[in-house]
Amino acid sequence: MDTAAKWEVQLRKGCLELAILAVLWEGKLYGLEILRRLESDSDLIMSEGTVYPLLSRLKALGLVRSEWVESDAGHPRKYYTITAVGKQRAREMTGVWKRFASSMSLLLAPVAKGNK
Amino acid sequence: MTIPGDAQKRIDAYLARLRQMLRGMNREDARDILEELSSHITEKAAATGGQVTASGVDDALARLGSPEDLASQYLTDALLARAEVSRSPLRIIESLFRWASLSFAGFIVLLGSIAGYFIGGALILSAALKPFHPQTAGLWIFPEGAVNTTISLRLGFGNPPADGRELLGWFIVPAGLVLGCGLVTLTTRSALWCIQLYRKSRILPRG
Repeated sequence: MDTAAKWEVQLRKGCLELAILAVLWEGKLYGLEILRRLESDSDLIMSEGTVYPLLSRLKALGLVRSEWVESDAGHPRKYYTITAVGKQRAREMTGVWKRFASSMSLLLAPVAKGNK
Repeated sequence: MTIPGDAQKRIDAYLARLRQMLRGMNREDARDILEELSSHITEKAAATGGQVTASGVDDALARLGSPEDLASQYLTDALLARAEVSRSPLRIIESLFRWASLSFAGFIVLLGSIAGYFIGGALILSAALKPFHPQTAGLWIFPEGAVNTTISLRLGFGNPPADGRELLGWFIVPAGLVLGCGLVTLTTRSALWCIQLYRKSRILPRG
């Protein structure tokens, strides 16, 4: 894997925690729904195996909680809900993200235009 | 939902391997993880045609990654989460034992951390016991011939050594406390830094 690809993977991984909190913002979802939302709304997912351990970590940190719910599919599903602490963390991270994205956009403007 | 025998065998083999790799983890947490992934694999494998097939299961398992990679992510993520909540050296060592069972890097970090905590703990104990054993506790030097000398941190139990000389006297109390606490803190931070570095290296796809 070349340096640019590695950098892209690290960048995506760094955003994944905030992206998961964001998709849970409006209601509870189970693992596969979270993955589908992330796949349809972003291209953050490199490996599905990354999301489940991260959900487990967010739960251990108290940012999300989980519950098993019986489903029509014939097996129970583990649903995740964002907690008050998780919402606070998501707000803080969103603030940092906006400032960061705005300053990077300014810096990158000449590069994007292709000026010398 | 009906799962054909060969598809079920593939799922069982994957989960059995993962269960084996997670054996150091809390039993309830491990069961929760396995049930969630079993549910994910079944649903993912059925997502395209409505029926679970062996090839659908293979595809779902490939997208999850190997049981070894998945287990190491769960273990290092759980360790990082616990460490963020509690930085107890005992908790760190307990988790490092799990990491050491998965990789040589974990074994090396475990050895270094045990050494750091051991020396840090000995410094703190030596300082704390100095008021109770003023003649014997502290940092001692033992000349062995013209060239070799041995430096020993003594807690003060037993008789005063005949052929040794104490180096710091009462200064061991502040020095032992400061250096001991510093070493314990440094060991904790270094262990966490190594775990974070390992975690970052594991999330990069190979190639």
